[in-house]
Amino acid sequence: MPVESTLSSDGKTVTIGISGRFDFEVVQEFRAAYGDKKDVSFIIDMRATEHMDSSALGMLLNMRKSLGDSAKIAIINCRPQIKKILTISRFDKKFDIE
Amino acid sequence: MKILVVDDTEANRKLLAWMLEDDGHEVIEAVDGQEAVSLFKETEPDLVLMDVMMPVMDGFEATQAIKEYLGGTHVPIIFLTALSDDASLTKCLSIGGDDFLSKPINEQVLQAKIKAHSRIKDLTEQLKHQNKELTRLHQFTVREHEIAKSVFENALAASILDSKNTRHYISPAATFNGDLLLVSISPSGGLYALMADFTGHGLPAAIGALPVSQAFLEAAQQGASVSSIAREVNSTLEKFLPDDMFAAAAIAELNADGNRLTLWLGGMPDAILTDAAGKLKQLIQSTHMPLGILEDDEFEREANIVEVNHGDRLFLYTDGIPESLNQQREMYGEKRMLQHFDGSSADPLTSLIEDVNRFTGNKDQNDDITLLELACKPVETSVTGDASVLTLNHALPWTLHMSLQAEELRKTSSPISQIVDMIGSAPGIESHKDYLHTILAELFSNALEHGILGLCSDLKKTEDGYMEYYRQRAEKLKQLDKGTLDITVSFRAEGRKGYLTLRLDDSGKGFDIANRHHSGDEDSFGRGIDLIETLCDNVTYSEGGTRVEAEYTIQT
Repeated sequence: MPVESTLSSDGKTVTIGISGRFDFEVVQEFRAAYGDKKDVSFIIDMRATEHMDSSALGMLLNMRKSLGDSAKIAIINCRPQIKKILTISRFDKKFDIE
Repeated sequence: MKILVVDDTEANRKLLAWMLEDDGHEVIEAVDGQEAVSLFKETEPDLVLMDVMMPVMDGFEATQAIKEYLGGTHVPIIFLTALSDDASLTKCLSIGGDDFLSKPINEQVLQAKIKAHSRIKDLTEQLKHQNKELTRLHQFTVREHEIAKSVFENALAASILDSKNTRHYISPAATFNGDLLLVSISPSGGLYALMADFTGHGLPAAIGALPVSQAFLEAAQQGASVSSIAREVNSTLEKFLPDDMFAAAAIAELNADGNRLTLWLGGMPDAILTDAAGKLKQLIQSTHMPLGILEDDEFEREANIVEVNHGDRLFLYTDGIPESLNQQREMYGEKRMLQHFDGSSADPLTSLIEDVNRFTGNKDQNDDITLLELACKPVETSVTGDASVLTLNHALPWTLHMSLQAEELRKTSSPISQIVDMIGSAPGIESHKDYLHTILAELFSNALEHGILGLCSDLKKTEDGYMEYYRQRAEKLKQLDKGTLDITVSFRAEGRKGYLTLRLDDSGKGFDIANRHHSGDEDSFGRGIDLIETLCDNVTYSEGGTRVEAEYTIQT
């Protein structure tokens, strides 16, 4: 599964991991990973993400819109090239990028 | 049986020979001790009947000489003696004789003794043979162990990374270690550590180390999460090990910034987290079953996430430490162990190991001992330079061209990975593959989606529209029957710089170059072009919007 979401033992944090390419091919799965969850904070774990493209940026923004500005969404474990894409796109304004 | 009869009285020899030959034995006769010794060497009899009092050399001396000659081989020597005092009889046996017969010889007693000694001789021979076999097997096993040991050492040597974040102590109880410690860096710059303690110790326990290290290092290379690594290793072991064998394990990850630990603990003693001074902050309990027991679908993968401060230290250890026994078979215990973490020792690793060794004395260790200290601070790894970055001075210019028709475009897999792999093998480009992948993927998506398929980004303004956009993309692509997309990548080097020109021509209608959309922070679309423009030095559109050319600079 390229997109996997796990709930922490205390039930308060959902970690969404994306492996391989983060692009439009996972659009459905990515939405499903956060779609029905409420009152939790999210961690998007990019440790295994090798590439991301602009459609992934779009998906992240959709997630932000859908959950609202108060929702806690952190993006962690980015490889340098992914971090650069997020920085170029000024995503640090909308997400906690580690 | 071949029997040597030694007696200086001919009548006695003849009588014995007669009795023995009657029973089917072959008889050799010697008249004194000296002749007995030389005939013995010559004829190698199975048993000797030896008179005591003889001229030239008596029976005692001859017996000593024969036994000396035999070394470890057993040939029974029975004394024939008229002496009956205890001292003489004792002497018979103490100098190497195996038994004695009183003169005059009773035929039945003689037969019984010969039978009994022949049995002992058979048994001795059997034993000798088995000993020889055992020695051979033992040598064989020692050799096998040596081979296995070197295989293990080679397989595991590379996996204990010498990192500035970790220190460790490993002390196996036998040649093979049933404990396993692996440390590896993650692609995102963090650090993984795995400590496993297999049931038992020695070779059977160590066998599990090979598949585990393989599974762990593979997963680490892919940047898998701690819970995925745990799951991966679990299913490897579950498939691989017999039911009664499993491994208690701790899997830890420290993120690149060194302020977050992720832990999966199964069947291990409590992990110890201390502050910078070595004072206990938190005991982290194992919440899972050891690895290799649960089936994949029952496996519990939840991991603990612990926020830590720089300077904090995590200690992982196997139960060999608290369960170390002293001379009185008393256990070292958790209480003694935790005393090293009360802040009194700045270096609990060293003081703990010294104390455990003092406690056990020189007694043989009863279990494998492994201890790891993981320092929470930004991960430092000695990453050596990318070997593929060659000087561009001698790089030759080249061009790669791929022309994709509708038939190829309809395939769901993107051609970009293949193109990037191809150009990545050219000198100097390897380390730029990731950015090139991003740029080419963006250029390709734009040419395909907006050029050939004629999709409009306006649809992406809402979340549902976003999904709709990609649904339409799939739909239109499936029905695509004509269209061409040309991808041309050319390379030239100038001095220390290399230039890659990426050009895409599509058969679509083109677009109004002057009025293309720039995205704002809120828009979930239109970011691709910004991305390309940031990563490339020069992006131009021409041919009415059906051609895009981007130049990427490689500096060394």
